[in-house]
Amino acid sequence: MIARLHDKKTITMGPLVTNGIISENLNLFLAFIIGIGFGFVLEQSGFSSSRKLAGIFYGYDTVVLKVFFTGAITCMLGLLFFSLFGWIDLSLVYINPTYLTSAIVGGIIMGAGFIIGGYCPGTSFCGAAIGKLDGLIFVGGLFIGVLIFGLGYKLWEGLYMAKNLGSPKISSVLGLSDGIFALLLILAALAMFWAAEWAEKKFPREEY
Amino acid sequence: MTDTKEIKKTKYLNPYVGGVLLGLVLLSANFIAGRGLGASGAIKSVVVTTMTTVAPSSAANSGFVKEFRQSHEGNPMKTWLVFEMLGVLVGGFLSGAVAGRLKLKVEHSPKITSRKRLILALTGGVLFGFGSQLGRGCTSGAALSGMAVLSLGGFITMMAIFGTAFALAYFFRKNWI
Amino acid sequence: MKPLKWLALFIIPLGLVIAAVPPNTAKPYKLTADQLLAEANTRTQYVTPDVVADMIVNKDPSLQLIDVRSQDEFEKYSLSGAINIPLTDLLSEKYTDILNQDVKMNVFYSNGTVTANEAWMLTRQLGYSNIYVLEGGLNFWFDSILNPQEPASTSPDEEFAKYDFRKSAGAVLGGGGAIQAQADQLSAASSPKPAITGAPKKKKVAGGC
Repeated sequence: MIARLHDKKTITMGPLVTNGIISENLNLFLAFIIGIGFGFVLEQSGFSSSRKLAGIFYGYDTVVLKVFFTGAITCMLGLLFFSLFGWIDLSLVYINPTYLTSAIVGGIIMGAGFIIGGYCPGTSFCGAAIGKLDGLIFVGGLFIGVLIFGLGYKLWEGLYMAKNLGSPKISSVLGLSDGIFALLLILAALAMFWAAEWAEKKFPREEY
Repeated sequence: MTDTKEIKKTKYLNPYVGGVLLGLVLLSANFIAGRGLGASGAIKSVVVTTMTTVAPSSAANSGFVKEFRQSHEGNPMKTWLVFEMLGVLVGGFLSGAVAGRLKLKVEHSPKITSRKRLILALTGGVLFGFGSQLGRGCTSGAALSGMAVLSLGGFITMMAIFGTAFALAYFFRKNWI
Repeated sequence: MKPLKWLALFIIPLGLVIAAVPPNTAKPYKLTADQLLAEANTRTQYVTPDVVADMIVNKDPSLQLIDVRSQDEFEKYSLSGAINIPLTDLLSEKYTDILNQDVKMNVFYSNGTVTANEAWMLTRQLGYSNIYVLEGGLNFWFDSILNPQEPASTSPDEEFAKYDFRKSAGAVLGGGGAIQAQADQLSAASSPKPAITGAPKKKKVAGGC
């Protein structure tokens, strides 16, 4: 974690900010640009519609699964190849820490929120941006939810901090190289996509 | 890799094309800033700002605010995720404008009322907001970005989110189908 | 052709390539002498005792302390949780797995910083990442953590906060034998945090979502 603290290297490789190649203000500006790309792609893919998103859980629309996994795989392959070519120092890329208990409990609560509210945070902003009032209300709900977490922090601090495993990679936990794991993930994703297209044919619905 | 016949059937981008584009956006975030995308982190900044403005003294003692301050210096609104999410609003709006989807409405299944849909959206939002803090990130921050960098936590959170939603799907089917 | 087939056509070969490439070459580059000198000049390899003490106290699993002194010295005194890799054995194959990894943060320490820096220099030259040196070595550790000086009454609050942290960390870390540490580590995940006040400010990249 400290790795990012003092890594102002003189080497021109990514990540550009951590390596001190671009300034903090330019970084924020680029964050805005990246956000525009993120929002545009989400909306174009149909993530601004809660009924379309919820389709994954009933098999009538699997766009979430496809976009989500294709996106993760594209980025993963990109990072692995960039690292292979020496364009990016992967040890400086942020890897979310794993706190086992809170990852599972938090995930369960988020899953419930997903099926009840029909959005996740990123997509609710997207929905709100094109005038979906349910998206806007969801964003309001997010604010309340985070506020509740913040105000009652002491109550769940123990849970939040339990089982800190550091920032392990799933590949090293499974004892595989990053490359082998990537290949397995690709094959698993393609199998899921194939099953998803089968399900869409089986439970056809008009698109929302 | 566009097959125009396939795409014309739908008003949306082909999901695989969308996925590759999303992956490229995520890759550029990692390449430029050394971090993935996120959404709920921007809300956290707003909440921290609210707490510090409304009740500065109690906020200063809050472990939540302290934890945030440890990793963010200066103005909590001047963070990467806040700027990124402002971009998302603009990007979503642009996309909706291009595709002619800008319209104020409440989207819901014909089996439920708009009012019920809004209550459900609020409930879901509260749960998601809470869960995203506990799980250190939402679908974009923890699951998507985490998976791309092969983070163990990313995969666990992803499975917990989708597993739970699938498990509960039956009970909420009337709201969607 | 269907989009799914197109996708498969692109990503399966890419996946095969990335899986077939030996993992070593996918690791970061080796440093040239110039780069190493530049890195040494910016003193980026140092971690302060406060940061290390905080990580030990919080049982941060990403910390790996490595004592590069001789075995004798290690047995007499070592930091909590440290392992012993004497400088003379640094390049021995049995330690490669510990040193060349990208999960933990390896922190070398010796009495001062000379030996630790030699170890840092060698391993960085090999292209290993996540290698650090404890600033000031064990001597400075004793002065700052185990035996902190109370700041003058005119000092800013931060100095006092730092002092309080050091005092309480010192109390927890006072003993610290290698064997005890091993046992500690095993139960680290579930054991409660020792009471520590005012942890030092840690800089991390703003993460999460």
